[in-house]
Amino acid sequence: MPVAASAIYFLNLRGDVLINRLYRDDVGGNMVDAFRTHIMQTKELGTCPVRQIGGCSFFYMRISNVYIVIVVSSNANVACAFKFVVEAVSLFKSYFGGTFDEDAIRNNFVLIYELLDEILDFGYPQNLSPEILKLYITQEGVRSPFSSKPVDRPVPNATLQVTGAVGWRREGLVYKKNEVFLDIVESVNLLMSSKGSVLRCDVTGKILMKCFLSGMPDLKLGLNDKIGLEKESQIKSRPTKSGKTIELDDVTFHQCVNLTRFNSEKTVSFVPPDGEFELMKYRITEGVNLPFRVLPTIKELGRTRMEVNVKVKSVFGAKMFALGVVVKIPVPKQTAKVNFQVTSGRAKYNPSIDCLVWKIRKFPGQTEPTLSAEVELISTITEKKSWTRPPIQMEFQVPMFTASGLRVRFLKVWEKSGYNTVEWVRYITKAGSYEVRC
Amino acid sequence: MAPPAQSQKSASPSQPSGKGEVSDVKMQLRQLAGSRSPGTDDAKRELFKKVISYMTIGIDVSSVFSEMVMCSATSDIVLKKMCYLYVGNYAKYNPDLALLTINFLQRDCKDEDPMIRGLALRSLCSLRVANLVEYLVGPLGTGLKDGNSYVRMVAAIGVLKLYHISASTCMDADFPAMLKHLMLNDKDAQVVANCLTSLQEIWGLEASTSEEAARERETLLSKPVIYYFLNRIKEFSEWAQCIVLDLVAKYVPSDSNEIFDVMNLLEDRLQHANGAVVLATIKMFLQLTLSMTDVHQQVYERIKAPLLTLVSSGSPEQSYAVLSHLHLLVMRAPFIFSSDYKHFYCQYNEPFYVKKLKLEMLTAVANESNTYDIVTELCEYAANVDIPMARESIRAVGKIALQQYDVNAIVDRLLQFLEMEKEHVTAETLVLVKDLLRKYPQWSHDCIAVVGNISSKNVQEPKAKAALIWMLGEYAQDMQDAPYILESLIENWDEEHSAEVRLHLLTAIMKCFLRRPPETQKALGAALAAGLADFHQDVHDRALFYYRLLKYNVTVAERVVDPPKQAVSVFADTQSSEIKDRIFDEFNSLSVVYQKPSYMFTDKEHRGPFEFSEELGNLSIDTELADNVVPAQRVEANDKDLLLSTSEKEDNHGASNNSSAYNAPSYDGSRMVAASQAQQDLVSLDQPPPADVPASLAIDDLLGLGLPVAPSPAPSPPALKLNAKAVLDPNSFQQKWRQLPLAASQEISMNPQGVSCIVKSSGSSSAYARSFHPLHCFRWSSPELQVLFLRTKRGRAFYLSCGLYFNRLCPNLVCLRDQSWKKMIE
Repeated sequence: MPVAASAIYFLNLRGDVLINRLYRDDVGGNMVDAFRTHIMQTKELGTCPVRQIGGCSFFYMRISNVYIVIVVSSNANVACAFKFVVEAVSLFKSYFGGTFDEDAIRNNFVLIYELLDEILDFGYPQNLSPEILKLYITQEGVRSPFSSKPVDRPVPNATLQVTGAVGWRREGLVYKKNEVFLDIVESVNLLMSSKGSVLRCDVTGKILMKCFLSGMPDLKLGLNDKIGLEKESQIKSRPTKSGKTIELDDVTFHQCVNLTRFNSEKTVSFVPPDGEFELMKYRITEGVNLPFRVLPTIKELGRTRMEVNVKVKSVFGAKMFALGVVVKIPVPKQTAKVNFQVTSGRAKYNPSIDCLVWKIRKFPGQTEPTLSAEVELISTITEKKSWTRPPIQMEFQVPMFTASGLRVRFLKVWEKSGYNTVEWVRYITKAGSYEVRC
Repeated sequence: MAPPAQSQKSASPSQPSGKGEVSDVKMQLRQLAGSRSPGTDDAKRELFKKVISYMTIGIDVSSVFSEMVMCSATSDIVLKKMCYLYVGNYAKYNPDLALLTINFLQRDCKDEDPMIRGLALRSLCSLRVANLVEYLVGPLGTGLKDGNSYVRMVAAIGVLKLYHISASTCMDADFPAMLKHLMLNDKDAQVVANCLTSLQEIWGLEASTSEEAARERETLLSKPVIYYFLNRIKEFSEWAQCIVLDLVAKYVPSDSNEIFDVMNLLEDRLQHANGAVVLATIKMFLQLTLSMTDVHQQVYERIKAPLLTLVSSGSPEQSYAVLSHLHLLVMRAPFIFSSDYKHFYCQYNEPFYVKKLKLEMLTAVANESNTYDIVTELCEYAANVDIPMARESIRAVGKIALQQYDVNAIVDRLLQFLEMEKEHVTAETLVLVKDLLRKYPQWSHDCIAVVGNISSKNVQEPKAKAALIWMLGEYAQDMQDAPYILESLIENWDEEHSAEVRLHLLTAIMKCFLRRPPETQKALGAALAAGLADFHQDVHDRALFYYRLLKYNVTVAERVVDPPKQAVSVFADTQSSEIKDRIFDEFNSLSVVYQKPSYMFTDKEHRGPFEFSEELGNLSIDTELADNVVPAQRVEANDKDLLLSTSEKEDNHGASNNSSAYNAPSYDGSRMVAASQAQQDLVSLDQPPPADVPASLAIDDLLGLGLPVAPSPAPSPPALKLNAKAVLDPNSFQQKWRQLPLAASQEISMNPQGVSCIVKSSGSSSAYARSFHPLHCFRWSSPELQVLFLRTKRGRAFYLSCGLYFNRLCPNLVCLRDQSWKKMIE
C-alpha cells in the first residue's frame, strides 16, 4: 500500500495548527497533540523524521518555518510519502509565487484545503501536476473548466487532462515568440583531507527548462555524454568527433521524457510541459573539474594565539569568474580578536557561527588570493581539551562553467506548424557541500 | 448534540476559546442565509473562511452547522468546497444534522457540471455517518457510470470510503464487481488506478472472511490482469505507477523468459525522476529475481547507480528513507557498495539521523580492501565536536574491528582514542576494547598496557565503568594494580549508583581473588559484605551466591566464576534471518525504516511492549492442574523441539505445557560467555546444594501470598540440566506463545506491597512500581520451579512480566519490556 495518509497537518514552529486535514478514520482526531507532546516538545525533534507513537507512524519534514506531518496507521511507503510532501510543497510554491512559509499558508489556507482535497483522496495521492491543477483551481478562486458558459472555457477538454495520458501539457497553447531556455545547474560536492587529497567528490546536476512553445512540440536534446555519442556514431556510421566526452553515472528524467527511446537510442526526446520544469538530473563521480583549490595552514601558537593562512586558487579559465564566493574558516569558540590581511575581498569574524567569513564578490579565474589572520584567544581554565577543527566550507557560483564538463550539443524542436524557435542555454556551477579539512 | 470532545482538547491554550466569535459568525450567517442581494457570496466567503480557520485551530464550530447548511445553496464553487469541508468534518458528530446536508449533496451529484458532481460525491462519501449509507449507494452507482472521468475517479475511491463505513452495504450493492469492470475497461488511467487501490484494500480486508474475496485478490495477480497494467503503465501518473509496480512485485511469473520480459519492459522506470517510482521498480526487480541467484546479483549491480542518486538528491528525509533501504540491501549483499564507500562519507552539515545511517553503511560495506580508508575517515568523526556523532563513529570502528581478521591497525587506532582524554571517547572505547578482547584475546597484552593507564576516576558512565572493571578482573594477573584499583572502587561502593557496575565489581573481585588471593582477600571480604547489605536484589543475591560458593568449595567456585574461556567467534545476531527475510519482503515500506516486520507495529497484539488482549488478561488457572509436576527430562530438551512437541502432547499434558515455553535462556549480551559456562557448571553439579533455601522462601514472602514462612527443607531436586545454547528471540517466542493452547490459568490478586517488592527486586525503577494500577498475576509452581506472571498496565501499554524461579537457585525476576525477552538464571 503506497501512502494512504490518514491525516496531514501543517504546524508552525510553535506547534499551532495551520492546516489540518483528516482523510481516514483509522487514527484519532488528536494526533496533532501526540505529535506536539511526543516529538515537538521533546529533544526528539529533528533526530529522526519517522517516528512511531502508539499504532501510528508520523512522517515529518520541516520546510522553512513550517512542519508538515503525515500520519499513517498502516505499513506505508516512506519514500513515497516524503516524495509526496516535497512535490506538494513545490505545487504550493507554484501557486504562492515561489514562497512557502507560515504567512503564505495563513493567507491561502482555503486554497490549500482545496488543493489537499484534489491531491489526496482518502489518503491516496492523486494528480499533483501544477499545470493541470491550475486549470481548475486558481488563485482567484475556483474556475470550473466544465462550466456551461463558453467564455469561461479556456480549455475545452480539460477533464481528459485532469486525468489523461499527456497529463503534463494541455493542447492549444499559442505563443508569438517560441522560446526555450535551458539552465544547466551543477552542484559540486567535495570533501578534501587536510593533506590535500580528495576523499570524496561528485557532481549532481540538473537541467532546468523553461518552455514557451506553441502547440504540441517534440523536442530532442543532445549532450556530450559518452554513451549517447557512441550510439550516435554507430547509427550514422561516422567516427565520433574529438572533444571532451563525459560519463554520466546515473540519469533520471522528468516524466515527459520517452524512457524507452532513451534506453534504446540514448536520445532524450520529449513533449515538454508548458513553462518551467526540471527535465533531467544526473550524477557524475569521474573526471570532475574542481573550480577551486583551498590550501589552508592553521598554526596554534601557544594557548592564546593562532595563525590562519588560507590560499584559494581558482582553476577555471582566466576569462571566467566566480560570483558570491564565501569561505568560512572555523575558529575556536573562545576567539577574542582577529586581525586580517586579505589580498582580495573582505573578511570578518562572525562569532555566532564561530567562523572567519571571507567574502569575495567577483573572483576571476586563474588567480589565488590569500587570507592571513592572527587569532587571539581568551585563555580559559577548561580548555585543556584540544580544539577539534571543523572543515572549511565554501560557497560559490561559477557561471558558464560546468564541473562535469557537460555541454549541450543541440536542442531540436519539431512541431506540425514548423515554426522557428529560439534556444537559450546557460551553465552554472554552484557549491554543494564543499568542505576542506584543516 | 454533544460537541466533539477532541476538537476542544486540541485547542492550544494560546488560542482563544472562540465562543464569542462563533456565536457572532452564527448570527451573521443567519442573516445571509436568505439574502439574495449581490455581493452576498463575497460576504459568505469571508464568513466561511472564518469558520474554517476556527475549525483548523481547533475551536469547536459545530454549533453553526445548520446555518452553514442553509447558506450552502450557492453556485459559487469555492463556497461549496468550504461548505463540503466543514460538513465532512462535523457530520460524524452530528448525524442528525448531517441528514440535512444529504439533500443538497444529492442534488449537487446531479449537477450538470462534472466538477460539482465529483465534489459533491466526494463529500457525500466523506460524511462517515453509518445510518446515512443508504443515501450513498444510488449516487455512487451513477457516479461509477458517469460520462466524465473526474466523477468516475472520485466514485472509485468513494466505494472504498463506503466500504469503511459499512462493509456489508458496499458488498451487497456489488460495488467491487463494478470496480473490477471499470478497472479493466476504463480508458482513463487515473480511474483505473483508483479502482485498483480500492479493490486491493477491499479484497485485502475481506479475504480473511470470504473465500470469494480471497480468490478475487488472487485474480488481481493473474497474468492477464498484470499484463493489462504493464501495457498501460506509461499512461499512469507517477503515484499510480507506484501502486501498479507494487502489485507487479507480488506477481509470480511462470518462467524465466517472462521474468526477463517484465524486467525489460520496466527497466526504464529506474530513470524516472520520482524516487518513489524508482524504489518501487527496484523492489519489483528484487522480488522477481529472488529465485534466480545470478540474475539477482546482476539486479544488484543495475540498481546501484539509481540508489546512490536517490541518496544524494532530495531532502535529508528522503535520503534517510533511501539509506534505510540501502542498509537492508547491504546486509544481504555486502559486496554491492564496497567500491562506492565514499558515497557514505558524512557531510558536516547533514542531520544526525542521516549521518548515523551512513556510519552503519560504512560499517557494513567495510572489507579487506577499503577498511583502511573507512577507518581513517571514521577516526575523523571520532574527533568531532558533536558527541553522539563521535560515539557512533567509535562504535562503528569497533564493529569493523569485530568483522575483520586484520585488526592490527584498528586496535592501534582504538588505543589512540583512549589517549584523546575526552570522557565520552574514553567511555565508548573502553566498551569496545572489552568486546574486542573477548574476540581476540591475543591482543590483551597491548590493550591492557593502555587500559591500565586509565584512571578509573575519569570513567563515569556505567557501561564504560563496567567494561573497565571486567577487564580489571579478567586480566588481574597482567595488571599490576588491579587488586588495588578494585579495592578503591569497593571502598566507594555506596557512591556507585549503577547496579550493573556493582555486579561487575563483585565478579571482578572474585576473579581477582582466585588469581591473586593474598592481595585481594581483604577487598573481597569488603565487597561481599557490601554486596550482602546492598538494597538491590540481584547484587545481594550474587554476593550471597559467591559467599556460599566460596564457603562450599573454592575449586568449585573457580570453575563457576573463572573457568577457562574460549574466544567468542561470532557475536550473536540480534535478528533472526527469518525476520530479515520478512523485512525484505516488505521492501519499500516502513518495516525497513523500523527494521522490524510490519506485524510488529501494525497488529494490535504486537504493538507496544507486549500488549495483551482482555481475554488473556483474565487468565484463571485451575490450581489443581497446576500442581502437576513437570517431568524433569522435559526441561532438558532443547526448548525449540519441546515447543514443537508440546502441541502434539497437549492432550495428555494439558496443564504443564505452558511452562516449556519459558525455558529459553538468552543471555545478557555482555556476559554471554561467563554466564553460560557458569550456568552449565551450576546446574550440573552432582552434589545436592546446601539444604536451606532461603531464596525461594523469601520469594513466597515477597509475593505477600501469606504462605507460612517456617523454614522447611526443600525437596532434593532431581538433576536439572538446561540447554546452554538455547536462544529464543522475542518474536518467535511470541508466536509460539500464541500457538500454545490455554492450558491452565489462574487469577490471584496480590497485595500491592508484595508486588512492589518484586518490582524493586527486578531492578526496575520505582516509578514503574508506583504506576501499578490494574493488575493480574498468576503463579504456577511445581517442586522444581515456579513461574510467575504479572500483568500490569501503565498508560495505554500493558506490560507482562514473567519470573521464573528455580527453587534451589536464587530468584530472578525478569521483565519483558519493549519486547526484549531477557532472562538470566544465576
